[in-house]
Amino acid sequence: MKLRIVSAAAALAALGGLHLPAQGQGFKPSRTVEAVVHTGPGGGSDVLARAVALMMEKEKLLPVRMQVVNKPGGNGAVAAAYLAEKKGDQNTIGFFTGVWLTGPLTSAEAKVTLRDLTPIARLVLEPAVIAVKADAPYKSLQDFVAAAKKSPGQLKQSGGSVTSRDNIVRQLLQKHTGAQWAYISFPGGGERIAALLGGHVNMMVIEPAEAGEHIRAGNMRVLAQVTEKRLSGFPNVPTLKEAGFDIPAVPQVRGVVAPPGIPKENVAYWEDVFQKLTKTASWQKFLADNQFEDGYQDAVGLTKFYDEFTGRMRGILQEAGVKLVR
Amino acid sequence: MDILSGLMHGFAVALEPANLLWCFVGVVLGTVVGVMPGLGPPATIAMLLPLTFLMNPAGAMIMLAGIYYGAKYGGSTTSILLNVPGESASVVTCLDGYAMARKGRAGAALGIAAIASFVAGTVGVIGLMLVAPPLAKVALAFSAPEYFSLMALGLAMVVLLAGRSMLKALLAMLVGLWISGIGTDPFSTTSRFTFGQLELLSGIDFVVVAIGVFALGEVLACMEGRGESGSLPVPKGLRNLLPTLQDLKDCRFAFVQGSVLGFLIGVLPGAGSTIASFISYGVEKAVSRRPEEFGKGAVEGVAAPEGANNSETGGALVPLLTLGIPGSGTTAVLLAALVLWGFKPGPLFISENPNLFWGLVASMYIGNVMLLVLNLPLVPLFAQVLRTPGYVLYPVILGISIVGVYSVSGSLFDVSLVVAFGVLGYLMRKLDYPAAPLILGLVLGGGMERALRQSLMMSQGDLAILATRPICAAMLALAVLILLIPLFNKLNAWRLQVLE
Amino acid sequence: MKARNADLWSGLALAVLGAYIIVQASGWDYTGPDGPGAGFFPLWYGIAMLVLSAVLVASSLLRAEPEAVDWRGAGRAAAVSAALAVAVALFKLVGFAIGFAALAFFIVLVMYRRPWPLAAAVAVGLAGGFYLLFPVLLGVNLP
Repeated sequence: MKLRIVSAAAALAALGGLHLPAQGQGFKPSRTVEAVVHTGPGGGSDVLARAVALMMEKEKLLPVRMQVVNKPGGNGAVAAAYLAEKKGDQNTIGFFTGVWLTGPLTSAEAKVTLRDLTPIARLVLEPAVIAVKADAPYKSLQDFVAAAKKSPGQLKQSGGSVTSRDNIVRQLLQKHTGAQWAYISFPGGGERIAALLGGHVNMMVIEPAEAGEHIRAGNMRVLAQVTEKRLSGFPNVPTLKEAGFDIPAVPQVRGVVAPPGIPKENVAYWEDVFQKLTKTASWQKFLADNQFEDGYQDAVGLTKFYDEFTGRMRGILQEAGVKLVR
Repeated sequence: MDILSGLMHGFAVALEPANLLWCFVGVVLGTVVGVMPGLGPPATIAMLLPLTFLMNPAGAMIMLAGIYYGAKYGGSTTSILLNVPGESASVVTCLDGYAMARKGRAGAALGIAAIASFVAGTVGVIGLMLVAPPLAKVALAFSAPEYFSLMALGLAMVVLLAGRSMLKALLAMLVGLWISGIGTDPFSTTSRFTFGQLELLSGIDFVVVAIGVFALGEVLACMEGRGESGSLPVPKGLRNLLPTLQDLKDCRFAFVQGSVLGFLIGVLPGAGSTIASFISYGVEKAVSRRPEEFGKGAVEGVAAPEGANNSETGGALVPLLTLGIPGSGTTAVLLAALVLWGFKPGPLFISENPNLFWGLVASMYIGNVMLLVLNLPLVPLFAQVLRTPGYVLYPVILGISIVGVYSVSGSLFDVSLVVAFGVLGYLMRKLDYPAAPLILGLVLGGGMERALRQSLMMSQGDLAILATRPICAAMLALAVLILLIPLFNKLNAWRLQVLE
Repeated sequence: MKARNADLWSGLALAVLGAYIIVQASGWDYTGPDGPGAGFFPLWYGIAMLVLSAVLVASSLLRAEPEAVDWRGAGRAAAVSAALAVAVALFKLVGFAIGFAALAFFIVLVMYRRPWPLAAAVAVGLAGGFYLLFPVLLGVNLP
C-alpha cells in the first residue's frame, strides 16, 4: 500500500515535473541579452556592462551572448524609460547606478523609478576617497575642515553635479562640522582631476581607481576614505568614522534591473546568474582591479536598500537646497 | 628613455607585420567611419573592444588610434562633396569645401584636405613625442576662467564668419547659444527649455543639429529646382581634380597654423576638435589677404580647419597618456580600453610602458603616411560621386543622414529633430541667415556658460577673476580686439573715402 | 511678399523667441547658493536676442528694395519637408526600409518628374542598399 502511494506520488511528481518547464521554471534567455546602460561608450556603466558581458562569456554563465545597448540621455532617465517600455521582455536587463535613484527626485521628466522596474540585484558599491594635491598643507581631514572653518566659503571642492555623491559627502560634512566651502561642478572626471592638480580647487572626492596612479606618482594625497571599513589599497588612511566624522559613508551603487512585468521565475534566474558571477574568480579580480566593494544584494535586499537610500537622499538634498519634485 | 632611442624602439614595434596590419585596418575603418555622419570613433572603438582582447595591447592600441585619426580624414569627404558633416569637427570644412565643390573644384578641395590632414597629423605626432609631459603641466594651468576666455575667443570669431549681415549672424549665434542650453543644467539640476520632453533632458546632440541644418537644409534647397538632374558640376581636367601648385602655395600658412593651433587646443582637456577647427578657420580668415573669398571656396578655408582637427588627435592624446585624463569623447573610450586591458593610465604611464607609448607614436607616423597614400589617389574617384543624378543622390543623402543620426542615440525622436532642423536650415538659407554662427553658438554655448559659472564659483562671484589671471586676460583682450575688427574696417574705409 | 517682409517676419519670430527665453529665464534662479543660477545665462542672451531682433525688424521696415520670392520653389521644398515628416512617422510604424523607399519614390516621382517605374526602381534599390549595408554589413541598427 505504502509502495503504491509512493509510486503514485512519484508518478505525479514526474508528470508535474514534465509540466513545469512550460510555466517558466526552466527559463533561459532565448536570444542575445540586451544590457541597457545610460552612458555612452566609455562611460562608467558602459565599461561595467562590457566587463560583465566578457566575464559571463568566460565563465559560461549564460547560454547566449550579452550585448551592451547605449541609451544615453537625461542622466539615466532615457534608459529607465526605455526599460519601462520593454514591459514583459525577457531578454533585456539594465545596469543602473545612483543617478537612476536620485534622478526622479529632482527631475520632473524622469518618471521611471527603480520601483517601477523589476529590481534584480545590487552588484557593487563604489567607495571614494578624499584627496588633495600633494603639496597642500592639509595632512588630515581635520586640517582641511579646520582651514575651511577659518575661512568659510574660500576653499573649493571639485565634483560632479549637485546631486552627485561628491556633493552629498560635502553636505554631510558641512552639516556635521559647521564648516563651509564652495563646490564647483565639472561634468567630466578628467576635468575635476585637472582642476585639483592645477591648483584651482583644494579638495575633491574621487574614486580610488582614478586616484591610484596620481597617488603613486606623488601628485595627490588622500586624507580619508568614504567607506565603512578600510580598503585594501589604502591600509593607512582612516575612514570617515575613524577620522572622527560620524557620518554615513555614502556609496555609489551599481546593480541590475529588468523591465517590469516579468515572471518571478525569471527574476530568480537572473538573481542566480548574478550571484554566481559574484562568486567567480574573474569577478573578484575585477573588484580588486577597480577597487570596488562587493555590494551584492538580491532583489529583496535591493528593494529595501532603494527605499532607505531614497529616503535619506530626500533629506540630504532638501537640506542642500536642491528643489525636489517628488 | 630619451627621445631618439625611444623612437627607434617604437618603430621596431610599429613595423612588426602584425602591428602594421592593425594600423592599416584601423585607418581604413576610421576613414569609413568618418565618412558616415553620426557614427563616430567613440562608438566604433567601443564596439571593437571585445575583439581587442584577442590582440596584443600594442596592436590594439595602434588600431584604435588609427580609427581615431582616420575618421578625421574621412569626415572631410562627405563635407566637401555633399555638405554632410561626417564628423562634428568637419562642419567647418563644409563651409568652403562644399563651396569649392559647387565651383567644380571638388577634387582640389579633397586633395588639400588630405594634404593638410597629413601635415597636421604629423605635426601632432611630433608634438606628442617631444613636448607631451611639459605641455601637460601647462595644460593644468588652464581652468574655468581660461576655458571661458577661450570660448569667448571662439565666439568672437563670429565676426569673421558674418558674411553680409552682422545682425543676422549675431542672431544666428544667439539661437545656437539657446539650443546649447536646452537640457538639464548640471549645476542646479533644473531642466531648461525641455518642453516636458524626456528626450530633451540631456540636450540636443550637436550631430543632429549639424546634419539637419547643413545636409537636410541643403537637400531641401536643392529641391526647389525644377527637376533638372541638379548634380554638382563634375570637376574636369587635372587642374580641378587635384590641388594645383598655386593652391599649395596659398595654403602654406594654413598648414602651419592649423597644425599648431589644433595640437595646442587638443591638449586642453575639454576643448575639442570642433573648437580647434573654428578658431583655426577664423585665424586664417583674419590674416588672409582675401577674406571675402572665405565661404565661397577659398582653399585655405579648407586647409586650416582640416589641419586643425587632425593635429588635435595628437594633442588630445597628450593629457590621456601623460595624466590619464581624457580630453574628448574618443579619448575617454581609449582610456576605458586601456583600463580594461589592465593598464593604469596616469603620470607614470609613459615611463612604465615605453613599448606601448613609443610603438603608438611610431605607428601614428606610419598611419598618417598610409592615409595620405590611400586618400590622394582616391580623390578623383570620390569626385565622380558627384556624377550621380540628383534624384538618386539626394535620397541617398537623406538616408545617410537619418541612419547616421539614429546610430548615435537609437531614438526616433532625434530623427524627427533632424528633420525639424533641416527645415530650419532651409529657412535660414532662404532668409540669408548664415549657418556657421549657429553652429558656433551651439558648440561653444554650453561650455562657455559652464566655464563662466565655474569661474564665478571659484571667485565667490567676483568677475575680476577673469582679468587677474594672465592667460585668461590675454585671451579676452584678443577676443575684444577681434570684435573690433569690423569697426577698424569701417573706419579704414571711411578714412580712404575721406582722403579721396 | 517681398524680401523685406521676410526679414520682418523672421525678426518678429526671433523677437518672440527672445521674449519667451526671458520669461522662462526669470522663472529660474538668477544666482544660486553656489554662484550664478540656471537663469543667469539665458536671461542675458534672451535680452540680446530681443534687442537684436528688434533692430532687425526696424531695419527691415526702413529698407526699400524688395526681392521676389520663388513661391513655387518654396512650395516644392515644403512638400519634401512634409514628405520627410511622413517618412519619420512611417519609420515608427513600418520600419526604415519601407519608409525610406516611400520617401525616395516620392522624391523621384514628384520632384523630378521621372517616370514611375524608374522611381520605383530607385526607391527599392536604395532601400535595399541601405538594408544590406547597414544592419547586415556594419551591424548598425536601422530605425
